[in-house]
Amino acid sequence: MTGGRSWQGDWKARLCERVRERGYDSLTAFAEARPAIPLVELAEELGRDDIAGVQVLSGLLAEAEQRKQVTRFVRDVLVRQLSLTLPDGWPVVMDDESRFQVAKALGCWSADTPDTHKDRVRQARAALRATPPPPGWRPLGPDDELLRTLLPDEEA
Amino acid sequence: MKVVALLLLSAALLAAGCSSRAAGSREDATGAGPDRVKGTAGGPRQIAARTRRAVVQVADEVRGATGEHARSLSALAARPPGLGNRGLSGGNGAFTRFIDHGSRQSRWIDGALGGVSTLTGVASETTEADMQWALLRMTGPRLQAAMLGALLLATWVDFLQLADAVLRQCPAYSVERLFVELRRVQGRMEPTLTALASLDAERVEAAATAMPELMGQLTREFGSIQEGARVAMERREQLLTAMQFMEMLTLVSALKMSLPRLPPAAPASLGVGLVMGSGGVMVGSRVVVSAEWVEAMRRLVQAGVISVPVVSAAVRIHGGQVLMAQASGDLPPGVRDALGDGPEVRAMHETGRAGAGMSEAPRHHVLPREHREWFEQRGFTGAMDIDQFCVRLEAAQHQAIHGGGNWRLGRTWPGEWNRMIMEALREAEAEAGRKLTRNNILNIVAERMKFYDVPMSFTPGRRR
Repeated sequence: MTGGRSWQGDWKARLCERVRERGYDSLTAFAEARPAIPLVELAEELGRDDIAGVQVLSGLLAEAEQRKQVTRFVRDVLVRQLSLTLPDGWPVVMDDESRFQVAKALGCWSADTPDTHKDRVRQARAALRATPPPPGWRPLGPDDELLRTLLPDEEA
Repeated sequence: MKVVALLLLSAALLAAGCSSRAAGSREDATGAGPDRVKGTAGGPRQIAARTRRAVVQVADEVRGATGEHARSLSALAARPPGLGNRGLSGGNGAFTRFIDHGSRQSRWIDGALGGVSTLTGVASETTEADMQWALLRMTGPRLQAAMLGALLLATWVDFLQLADAVLRQCPAYSVERLFVELRRVQGRMEPTLTALASLDAERVEAAATAMPELMGQLTREFGSIQEGARVAMERREQLLTAMQFMEMLTLVSALKMSLPRLPPAAPASLGVGLVMGSGGVMVGSRVVVSAEWVEAMRRLVQAGVISVPVVSAAVRIHGGQVLMAQASGDLPPGVRDALGDGPEVRAMHETGRAGAGMSEAPRHHVLPREHREWFEQRGFTGAMDIDQFCVRLEAAQHQAIHGGGNWRLGRTWPGEWNRMIMEALREAEAEAGRKLTRNNILNIVAERMKFYDVPMSFTPGRRR
């Protein structure tokens, strides 16, 4: 993941092929079998040197759009981002460093959210600031109760 | 002429340029063989810490040497002219320009070393190991340029000391001739100095590779002025005998002896090679660079901070092997190994710098130029200017990142990267409720670069 090889050749075909090789018929199924695992780690499992995290993100979004489950996808992105940035859960002590880590996780979440959902994510972040989750909170998947109240499904 | 026949460097240069005075580096210098540096000992963070200490050690040594040269220049400027208004400070100020030339070199070297300090400082506060490495590698061109610039500065100071001595002690030597000679020497050095002062990795390396040959030319120039002075003295049957005069010249206390002595009539024997000994790199029984220096270099070469051609050039210059026509410019295998050279290092150097035609690939700002001011307000200035943080990406990579088809990637390089990174940074800042620090920004950028699989290897780009 350091050589920039992920962008050589037909990376979409490569991504699909790796998913099929591992016995899944969709990237979503592959990811669901690995809940709360950061996207970079999913990418690493699919191709240590030639798949990038953002490609997995992009593939998951494409599939979510087809299934009309984008809101769920957006929640899933936060779960995976939090497990990367705050592996021990929501900080118990809010010092400068942990405040920055929270800010980084939420900032990256916004950046990875498709335009259609940016406003809703911004509102969800405001709600999180107003009522912070309990210390140690560590959502294990997109169906986490607190997450679903923050960002409920609309498509259904 | 037999007295000057020895191919010798004085200890003065070695003390200034190569030996390690940093007692603190001793402990890690002794314990670390090549295997340890390659990663069996300690995590990437410890290796990065050792690399950082090596950078600091080398920078400190160069700083010490340039400081000394700067003092020599001031002393030359301040020394009142001798009889007949002769001396560098005399002659109606005609020679002042040469002293100024030296001072200008010492200024850019200081600037380059300042950049090294900034980068190592930021690296020491960076938690992301990859970013720490990338920052340390950014010191490379500066450190290499400063090292070689200091060698040339030492040489220039030697020329000035020689000129001052000739002017004062050798009234038969024409002032005009000496002026012309100094101007010619300055002209010979000029292209190399300009390349070094550019701090551009590729120009610095090209200049380094050509430097042993330049030092050879300068050695001949130096010898020719000395010889000219001797002949002039003989003709005029001056008070001193020619031989005494030559001895006096070599005893000028400030002379750095940066240049090897001209060999006797027979060309320097290739048999007198450089070998790796217990004390360092040696010519015969003489240590030309210390074991500590070699150890620091090995670490820096293996970390990709400085390149093998540059270190080889420095060793050849220190070893006085600038008059030998070594076609390849290569050092003997034993010395190369000690300096950390090897197929892996070469391969890393290639991929890091120019691998697979990457040196031709266009450069892209990782920190978007449109937001220069935003970054400046958060400490990205000087050696940390956003222009220093560019990456090379192949055109093919662009097109791939542009995506298309029925997967709307929604991310295109560079436009979408810019949009994404600025959004992540601004939203994080809003969330934190305070300005992000420079390290905060580097931390987020490092994470995002990994996410996009953008190689963490920075090269300076152009300001527009």
